[in-house]
Formats: sequence, structure tokens, C-alpha cells
Amino acid sequence: MATSDAAVAPAPVGGARWRYRLRLALREPTTVIAVLMAALFAYLIVVPILSILSDAATVQFGDERRTAGETGSVTIYYLYRAFASPVAHDLFWEPLLNTLKVAFGAIAISLSVGGVLAWLIARTDMFGRRWFATALIVPYMLPAWTFALAWTTLFKNRTVGGQPGWFEAIGLSPPDWLAYGQVPITIILALHYTPFVILLFGSALRRFDSQLEDSARILGAPGRVVALQIILPLMRPALLSAVLLIFAKCLGEFGVPYVLGLPVKFDVLATSLYRSIGSRQTGVAGVLAGAIMLIGVLAIMIDAHLAREARRFVTVGSKGAMNRLSRLKSWRWPASGFAAAIFIVSVGMPLLTLALSTVMHQPGSFALSNFTLDYWIGRDLPTVAMRTGILLSPDLWQAAWNTITIVGIASVCSGILGVLTGYVVVRTTIRPLAIFLRQVTFMPYLVPGIAFAAAYLSLFAVQRGPIPGLYGTTLILILALMADQMPYASRAGISAMMQLGKDPEEAAQIVGAGWFRRMTSIVIPIQKGSLVTGILLPFISGIKGLSLFVILAVPATDVLTTFSLRLVDYNYTQAANAVVLIIAGLAYGGTVLAQRITRTNLAEGLGN
Amino acid sequence: MPDIVLSNVQKSYGAGSPNAVSDLDLHIHDGEFMCLLGPSGCGKTTTLRMIAGLENLTDGEIGVGEKIVDSPARGAFIGPEKRGMGLVFQSYALWPHLTIERNTDFGLRLRKVPKAEREARVTEVMKALDIEKYRHRYPSQLSGGQQQRVALARMLAVNPGVLLLDEPLSNLDARLRLEMRAELKRIHAAFGTTIVFVTHDQWEAMTLATSIAVMNEGRLQQIGTPNDIYDRPANRFVAEFVGSPPINILETATGHALDRAASHWLAGRLGESAGVGSVGFRPEALQIARSEAAVPGDSFRHAAEVTGILPTGGSWIIELKVDGRALFATTTECPVLKGGERVFVHARPTAMHVFDAAGLRLAGADDTLARAA
Repeated sequence: MATSDAAVAPAPVGGARWRYRLRLALREPTTVIAVLMAALFAYLIVVPILSILSDAATVQFGDERRTAGETGSVTIYYLYRAFASPVAHDLFWEPLLNTLKVAFGAIAISLSVGGVLAWLIARTDMFGRRWFATALIVPYMLPAWTFALAWTTLFKNRTVGGQPGWFEAIGLSPPDWLAYGQVPITIILALHYTPFVILLFGSALRRFDSQLEDSARILGAPGRVVALQIILPLMRPALLSAVLLIFAKCLGEFGVPYVLGLPVKFDVLATSLYRSIGSRQTGVAGVLAGAIMLIGVLAIMIDAHLAREARRFVTVGSKGAMNRLSRLKSWRWPASGFAAAIFIVSVGMPLLTLALSTVMHQPGSFALSNFTLDYWIGRDLPTVAMRTGILLSPDLWQAAWNTITIVGIASVCSGILGVLTGYVVVRTTIRPLAIFLRQVTFMPYLVPGIAFAAAYLSLFAVQRGPIPGLYGTTLILILALMADQMPYASRAGISAMMQLGKDPEEAAQIVGAGWFRRMTSIVIPIQKGSLVTGILLPFISGIKGLSLFVILAVPATDVLTTFSLRLVDYNYTQAANAVVLIIAGLAYGGTVLAQRITRTNLAEGLGN
Repeated sequence: MPDIVLSNVQKSYGAGSPNAVSDLDLHIHDGEFMCLLGPSGCGKTTTLRMIAGLENLTDGEIGVGEKIVDSPARGAFIGPEKRGMGLVFQSYALWPHLTIERNTDFGLRLRKVPKAEREARVTEVMKALDIEKYRHRYPSQLSGGQQQRVALARMLAVNPGVLLLDEPLSNLDARLRLEMRAELKRIHAAFGTTIVFVTHDQWEAMTLATSIAVMNEGRLQQIGTPNDIYDRPANRFVAEFVGSPPINILETATGHALDRAASHWLAGRLGESAGVGSVGFRPEALQIARSEAAVPGDSFRHAAEVTGILPTGGSWIIELKVDGRALFATTTECPVLKGGERVFVHARPTAMHVFDAAGLRLAGADDTLARAA
């Protein structure tokens, strides 16, 4: 049996080698698709961001006198205005300080509350822990400003006009610090993000091997030492990751500070950016958006760094891994009581308050005669506008239709693009292309929604080259939403393709299936589940999304969230609350439906 | 199917990383059952995938008969879907969304085989592999062994000229593995297919192959029949990789008493300048005598101490020590020895595998030793 005696190949020719590479690259459409997608994402993601950053450094139309430069020439005027001028304090520094105060406050509260709850759910024999494991995640399925509206319904005082809050109505006038500003914003964000801590910390606790704990105990370590020297250090990565995620989310949070901060001029970065856009200070808006992005990028980079560090001590859950539950004994009831109290405060009360407020004429009066269904289905109401109940208002149905079409189309597109991204990233033979696609689709994650919307406004507001001005169209909303959802869609697509591996497709290739046949007969049918998830999850988060729409939507393209915000602005409290309840119902129902369809626990995938 | 010829094949996964396969020349004849054998990471799976067309070459050439299927220098590449080969994956890679029947007839449908013919063929293959009763089930409803047979059936259905198997038995339990080995041998005989089989399991290679190609660190070490590989290993790697318990190796250059004795013994027969680097003898060739008188006059011998007797069911492994150096012997007769007993180990000259300083077999030594015996 011999080694080969085949003729030695002719001397390598440079041309033939290139032809070989080209042939390999173009043998299948994967590379062509990858190139097209790279171009698409560059245009939908990179260009808008560059555009708003360039806005920050070039003279904007109408600012020629102030900047003493031509429109389009380079200037540091906006940087000066945002960071060093006499108005810098109001434009940037105060909002920055407020953002940090609110974010750190929310982090502190959600860590202490969520940490305890995560431990109770994951590692103790608390009553009803399974039920609480799902119930305590609900706040995250609802839009954050649902709670803001519930809060105003309860605590609104005479500082602003319109219907008073319930406490005001029964004669207990809440002080401003309780009704508006830092305190309520912090509490609401904390309650909204507590599920993050429960999910991240809880799953780390569940994976924690009891044997590590047992080993310390057998060596004679008391409980306190075990907790401080074994458990806590191993839990640190999960905790830090939750902290940074909450921080990044707080940075872009718009709805809650808009509803609760405005009456007392409590500005955060997101609302300051919104004001700058509202008052057509495009250059300053660019600076603010850039600043928000920068802080966001820093937070994510720290998170990524810590995650890398954390890999050094991954605890491998081997076969022997055990999750032993601590016995609470006489503390079982108080523990369950605590969890129940948090559930009531973060889910029960806000929803009940909102629901009741939509069926009451006068706030805070529980006389039977005060109850009505007029705000839902009434006609000829004695108001200036909104003369019918919300369900009879054509505006609601228009907004609902807009929501479903805009969010629906964007979600379907991003879901499909996500699976395609996953496919080409995993399969292309050209590595730099795969790396570019992976990173570019992740970029919107670093950019809070409100800054991303500002970037879209900056690029698409006016005609540029062959692309007409898109402001006021549904297309700009669809494109922005699609780009904004790409991080989740592409991550889902990539991980699904990684999990699938090459084998099933290669097996088809071996028996003679070409590219299109493999896609239609093997890859897509197998990935059906992840495609459905990849569409449903962005759809749910899109329905309750606000910050992207609030900048890009106009009355004709109102979605449910912006419609309800407009109603808040006009002080149609009952109608606004009703719309928010509808949104909350849709988001919750969608999540439950998605869980049924995919038979998974989506709460764990709701990182967006 | 014509012969498959690999010439000077190189494979590297990117500049800077070491070659996964280097300078590989391999000629696979029609109808052969060839095993690519080697430790994990030796390049055997890469070689298989290059033959299938799932990996492209960095340099060199692969030809099937007259046709060049992959050659960077000529700019030629024929895709896996056009090579007409079959490949059974280690993971089986059954399509989870298709029934067993649809998994099996997928390739036939692609080839637009008429329905009646297709069904007849699928039924024939399924019957041969005893999976016909599962035809309407899904892969997740089958056991590992059944899935394995479906993976085989799927490839056999299209009647490939070459069947490539990537460690297909490694996920099966011992009993099933034995059954499937017999099955594969039967298929090879019945379908007359050329089979290229990748494994790291030497017994699998020994029992199945008509020829074995041993690889290590991307290079071909030896190619030959199972008996060639075992009885005349081309170098120390092959000698040490094949065989369990492993071959006993004595290095002549160390100062150890046993090594010095072996070195002296060999010098007496091969001459001082033979360039011996090491000598090995397989455990079954290492014999034990209770007194030196019982050792045949021309055998290599040394005093040793019995340190352990390990029954393996039907045979025994005897562990011995010489000044702290461990030696292994095997026997099929129940040993009468006791732990701690002083004995003489000895080996026939013809049982010696002599290697030079670089670890290559000293070709001349075999004849000389045979004459000496």
C-alpha cells in the first residue's frame, strides 16, 4: 500500500491561486449576501451615528451668526455650548448629575431588593417560590412609564394642572419631592429593573454548585465566612453585569423622567436631548447624543471586560452539581410576605390604580356614582377633544394599526436579517466580513434609543443624494426600529446557527444539495423556532418602546406609546392610562403567547 | 469508483497557525477499507473533510481517478455536492425536522429519482440496516445506535462510490459498537463501496480495515495492513500508539541498568555502529522465567521484580519493575507468580523492534536479528 505516485502539481501560479480563492468565495451566495448585508448595515447603523456626530462638530443651518462660520464648516461652538458656556449647566452638567443620581439610586435599590428576592427564589424553600419566579418578572414586561403614570395618578399635586392625584383629591397634599423628580423616578426605575437582578443573579445562584459551599463547611467555616468568602466572590460577575446593564438602560430611559421630571424641571440626559431636538438645536443635540453614546459604550466596555475576567473562574456545573435549598423555618412566612409585598408594589398597585383611574370621574372618590365606563366606551363626553371613550376613538385604532404595522414589519425584517446574519457570520469563509457584521449589528446596543433616534433624524430628516427626506413617514420608523433591534436579532441568529453547527447542512451538501436547496429544506425549517422568537421578542419590546418613537413619530404616524404620551401632555389622564393599560396588556399577552409557542421561558431572554 | 489520490496535501487554518496536515501523500484504492488512525488533533478528520470537499486545500492536490477535484495551484475545486461521496458524521447530523424516511430519501429526491424506484431503494437500504420499522419516526425518537444506522442509510441510499466515516462508532456503547463494526464489514462486502474510516480507536482500526494510515501531528506516519502496523511499526510513534498495554521501550542512551543491558545485548548482535536509539518489545512478547536457566540462550534477559498482577478476564497483565522502571507483560495463562517475587524477563530476538536515534525503524536490524535467532 503505497504513498501516491501522482504527478506533482505544476509550479504554483499567482493568478491561479487568486482564481482558486475567488472560486471558493463565490462558489456559494453566502459571501455575496454577506457583502450586501454589510453595506445595508453600514448605511442603516454606521452612517446615522457618524451623521449625528458630525452634526456636533459642524455649523448647522441657522447658526451662522452665532458660530461666525458658514453652514457646514467645522466648529467647536456646540461643544463649548454644551460643556462650558453659561447654559452648559442646564444643558449638560445638571442632567448628567441627575442621570447619575437616578441610575445609582435605582441600582442600589434594585440590587438590595432583587438580590434578596433572587436568593429567596433560587435557594430557599420560601412558599410559592415558583409562582414568584414568574410573577416578579412581570414589571419588566410592562413599559416603565406605566408605573410613572400610575405614580402621577396617585401622587400628583397642585404644582401642575389637570386632574389632581388621589391623595390630593382626598385632602392629603403630597409634597413636590414625593410627587415628582428624583425620588419617584428612582423608585420606579428600581422596581422596573429589579427583574434584571432576579434573572441574572438568580440564574448564577442556581448554577452555583452547593458542593463548593459544602467543602467550606466541612472544613469548619461558619455561615458568614461561606457567604463572604465563597459565594459572594463567585457571584460578583453576575452582580456587576446586572449593575452595568441597569446603568446602560437608565441612561437611555426617557418616558419616566419625561412624565415625572418635567413638572419640577428635573432633567436627565435623555430629556435634555429631547428638548434640544424639540427646540431645533441640532448641533447641541449631536453633542448630547454623542455624550450619551460615549457613556453607554464605556459601560458596555467595562461589562465586557469584567465578563472576560469572570471567565477565569467559571464554575463548571458538573454532574455532581447540586442546588440545595436553605430551610427558612420560621422565616418562611415573612419571606413570602416580603416577596408578595414587592409584587403588590411593583405590579398589583400600579395596574390597579391605572385600571381604576380609567373608570372614575373624580380621582380618589370611591362612591359608586363616581364609577363609569365612559372613558372606555362613552359618547359625547364634555371635553374639548376626545369626546368619545378611548375604544371608540379612531385615533386609538389608527395608533394601534400603526403600532402593529410599523413594529410588525420592523420585527419581521430584523428577525429575518438576524437569522441571515447568523448564517453568513458563521458560514462565510472571509473572516473580516464576519467580524464586521457581528460588530456592526451590535453597535445599536451601545447607543441608547433616544440617541439613536436623534441620529436617524439627523441623517434622514432632509433629502440626501437620491434618498428623499423621510421625516414624518412610517419608513423612517421602520428603519430605525429595525436597526435598533438588530443587536438582539443578530445575537439570536448567530447563537442559533452556532448551536445548529455545520453538520446537518454539510450532510445535505454531501448528498448533493446546493445552497438554495439547503437553505429551504434544512436550515430554515430547523431554525423556524428561533426565527419565531427572533420576530416575537423584538415585536414585544417594540410595542412598549417609547424613546425611539417620541423623536421620530409625528401625529400621522403615532403609535400607541406616543399617542398615550400626547394624551398625557393634553391632560387626558383617563384616556392616557387606558392606552397604557392596552399596551401593557399587549406586551404581557405577547410574552405569554411567545412562551407558549416556543415552549421556553422568555423572561430569561427579555434582555431588551 | 476510481482511486482517490492525495498528493503533497497541505492544510493550514490561517497564516501563523501550525499546519493541520503537512506533506500528505495517500493513495486510496477502489474497494479498499482504509482507516485513518491517530490521536485527536492529528489531522485525520481534516483529511477526511478535504476528501469530501468540506475543507479546501492550502496546497497540493486531490484527484479522483483522472479528475482533479481540488488544487489551489490549478485553481480547481469541485464542491462536495458534486463529488458523489457519502459522509457519516460523528454527530450523525440527522435532520431533526424530517422523518427517518425523508432523511433517507433526501438525496434521491434531489436526484429526481422516480417515486417507485425511490421507494424501492429506500426500503432496500432500510431493510439492510434494520430500521424499516422506524421509517415514520423522527430522529429524536431513536436511540443512538438506531440514529447511527439512519445516518448510514441516508448516505448508502444514493449509492456513493466512496463512503467516508468520521468516528461513527465513538458515541455508541461497547455492545452496539461491536455490532456496528460487524455491520460495517458486512456493508463493505455487500455494497463493494470504498470506505475511508476515521478513528482514534486502534482496535476499531485493527478489526475493520484492510489498510491503516497512522497519522500524527498532521503527518502520515505509516500506511499498511493491520498486521504490518502492529508487527512492523515504521517508527516509535506507531509502535507506542498501537497496542495496549503499550509497548515496552528501552532507550539505549540513558544510564539505567536495563537500558545498558539492552544496549550491550544489541551491540553484540548488530555491531557498535548500528546507530540504535531504542528498542521495544510488546507485552505479549515479554516472557517471564523464575530462574535464568529457563531462559533460552539467545534471548535478551534481565532480572526484575513482580509488582502487580492485573486480571483482565481471560488474560492477565503483569507489572514488573527493574530499578524503578516499569515493564508490562501479558499472558493468557493464569500466572503462578506472586507480588514481590524476583524473576527474569526475557524476549526473543525476533520480537525486538529496533529504532534509530530519530525514532525510525532500523530496517537492517530485523534481518540480522532473525538470522541470529
